[in-house]
Amino acid sequence: MYPKEIEKYLLKVQKPGRYVGGELGEVIKDKHDVDVRFAFCFPDTYEIGMSHLGIKILYSLFNEKPYIWCERVFAPWIDMEAEMRAHDIPLYALESGDPLTDFDFIGFTLQYELSFTNILNMLSLGGIPVLSRDRHDLNHIVVAGGPCACNPEPITDFIDIFFLGDGEEVDLEVIELYRECKRDGKSRAEFLRLAAQIPGVYVPSLYDVSYNDDGTIKSVIPRDGAPEKVEKRVIMDMDSCYYPDNFVLPNIEIVHDRAVMEIFRGCIRGCRFCQAGFLYRPVREKSIDRINEECHALCRNTGYDEVSLSSLSSSDYTQVVPMLKKLNSWAKPEQVSLSLPSLRVDGFSDDILDEIKTVRKSGLTFAPEAGSQRLRDAINKNVFEDELINTCRVAFEGGYTTVKLYFMIGLPTETMDDVAAIADLGKKVLDTYYSVENRPKGKSPRVTLSASSFVPKPFTPFQWEPQDTMDTLREKQQHIKASIASKKISVSKVTYNYHDTDTSFLEAVFARGDRKLNKAMLLAHQRGMRFDSWSDCFSLQNWLDVFAECGIDPAFYANRRRDFDETLPWDHLDYGITKDFLKRECERAYASQTSPNCREGCMNCGMKKYGGGVCYEKR
Amino acid sequence: MKNARVFFTKDGACKYISHLDTNRVMLRAIGKSRLDIWHTEGFHQHAYITFALPLSLGFASTCESMDFRLLDDNADMSAIPEMLNACLPAGIRVQRCVEPKYKPADIDSAAYAVAIEPMNAHDISLEELYTKLNDFLNQSAIIVEKKTKKGKKQVDLTEYILDCSTDFDENILLTLRLPAGSTLNINPSLLIGAFAEYCGVELHSDMTRTGIFTKEGKPFE
Repeated sequence: MYPKEIEKYLLKVQKPGRYVGGELGEVIKDKHDVDVRFAFCFPDTYEIGMSHLGIKILYSLFNEKPYIWCERVFAPWIDMEAEMRAHDIPLYALESGDPLTDFDFIGFTLQYELSFTNILNMLSLGGIPVLSRDRHDLNHIVVAGGPCACNPEPITDFIDIFFLGDGEEVDLEVIELYRECKRDGKSRAEFLRLAAQIPGVYVPSLYDVSYNDDGTIKSVIPRDGAPEKVEKRVIMDMDSCYYPDNFVLPNIEIVHDRAVMEIFRGCIRGCRFCQAGFLYRPVREKSIDRINEECHALCRNTGYDEVSLSSLSSSDYTQVVPMLKKLNSWAKPEQVSLSLPSLRVDGFSDDILDEIKTVRKSGLTFAPEAGSQRLRDAINKNVFEDELINTCRVAFEGGYTTVKLYFMIGLPTETMDDVAAIADLGKKVLDTYYSVENRPKGKSPRVTLSASSFVPKPFTPFQWEPQDTMDTLREKQQHIKASIASKKISVSKVTYNYHDTDTSFLEAVFARGDRKLNKAMLLAHQRGMRFDSWSDCFSLQNWLDVFAECGIDPAFYANRRRDFDETLPWDHLDYGITKDFLKRECERAYASQTSPNCREGCMNCGMKKYGGGVCYEKR
Repeated sequence: MKNARVFFTKDGACKYISHLDTNRVMLRAIGKSRLDIWHTEGFHQHAYITFALPLSLGFASTCESMDFRLLDDNADMSAIPEMLNACLPAGIRVQRCVEPKYKPADIDSAAYAVAIEPMNAHDISLEELYTKLNDFLNQSAIIVEKKTKKGKKQVDLTEYILDCSTDFDENILLTLRLPAGSTLNINPSLLIGAFAEYCGVELHSDMTRTGIFTKEGKPFE
């Protein structure tokens, strides 16, 4: 329940439903009955955080334990923050209304780099000292997990513990350890030292980093028995892995307001730009029976009439059509529609279309990522133009009129010809529409080309690559625009969107940043910066001022080519992927050479050591 | 097929669910409860529910209603409140389910209970605020600007206040009946806004809709 005193201010802010909890499915416990209180914080607004699958899984998992009470906390939007600060209302959890200071753990999920400043802001709004070194007792343990934990170096001054890899097991092990330490009256330092012994736990304060004169890393030395390399945790058997059979059902509309069923973890593809494709290896599938059972329970318990079958590339599920057929045996009669997000161009078939056909025939979205075959080979997208064209034909014949195509610009080895090819591809898709005999009548086709700026990420073959400068990226955006015009493509039928280069630049700085950036993060926070992923709040100039004041050159992180033998800020973290494999893949990219996916052939990325998943599938 | 009308209360955290979101919450609750109701048969098929009189965001209510059609003529209406309550957030409680007696178009007025306090306690004492409230209501005219679909227009609220009384115990309580329905609807926040302007202090008001009435003054059933 929300604190009574906020009631006065709720009607002064947008969407007050964000701040009151009280949803069906929220877990209310008596705080006197639990040993550990965990505040699960999502560093963005309610609508975004409530759409996130990880928080749903861990919230339910933690709350299944009688001795833990896990509650939700979201970042208040700026209007609410102003009211809270003006009236001294600390950031509170939605279930109990208690401030963050009442919690043993304050856990953040790190989904994108531009949410980092929100973490600091949420801590300070909750009355928790933002710097780890200012927190002394055995409480207020600030932990974080999620994809950005693979290079958490820019926020090591603020977070006590990072969880690497799948959280279902390691989180509970750390909570259990805390409970024991609390019972035995151990100190915060002792607890952190012991936690560092648990596989998958990275306690940054136990590592000393030194630098070379050129600013690169010289060494990372562990202390107090912390492991030299922290290895990610992986859950190999997805069928025995915990999955919630109910969600907290939001009272206000959220971004993804539907049931979500995870069908597998990982991705077989190995697209060289994609961090998730490497971090979550190896592919581990859930069985059809398990999916069917869990999915039916979830739909029954939540009342949702739409379920998203989620993964990094859902059409790569080995038995996708039998799975859809099985689900539809109850979904159709119960008027539940199935959707497959992240459909690949080559994974789109009539069979799939038949099973997921919904009443709302909106648009289809595909991500060829690059305009030319040469560049698609270099990034290992493994999608061919004729596949895309065929797929669009199937879609147009099936009654679709709107196709969205996602691209990236600034990819390694990209030339201006590759960039212009994006416009060509848009034109070919449009031509395909007119070549289809039984195309939908009476509707104008629409092709949307969307170009975002490539951000090189850790644990990918492009982790050593410079990001294009903002000027180059803008030039490329204009080149696409000009190419569309010269192709005489009707502007009303082709839309071209491009993303802000400024935010991509900042994202590139933090994605591959080191500990020196902590200083900038703190200063940015002190200057009131947050919600960097929102155009309402983001200002590149403010960040450039912060970097200048801290003596930091952001181009050192974003636009510099690293040598293969440079010690990278995340080298002491081990995601199972070998550096040697990433190097080989990078070199193949330079040669515009593709690599087979995990089911076609093994490239020895290092995942075999986990002893399961796709590496050991029968073929 | 038979028509059904459920009456429900809306309070606590659920005060902050907008009308559109209330619709969504109800649809999901009906889906979860497996209540067999009529769906629209057009291109976008969906469960068909209607609300007699939308409630503003931030208002509590003891008398909301929602209509739908039960596919089973022999369905037991008395079981429906419990079925739905199991699928609704705690702040929405279905009280009863009946066959509709009146049409939503028969709605003519609604009653409200409004607790008023200053936003900042040091701005004005409750005693003084109470005196001002009575003075305000005793004016010969209360002119406010009302936004309509055709633009803004000046209205005199005294012409529309059907019933009105004030009470001061621990809190200041204003009880009101105002025109409601699809043709003429006066939101009590118009009056409270005018009062705040009259006092020159920022006010916080806690509004509850306590009754909905037909032209004959009968409770909407």
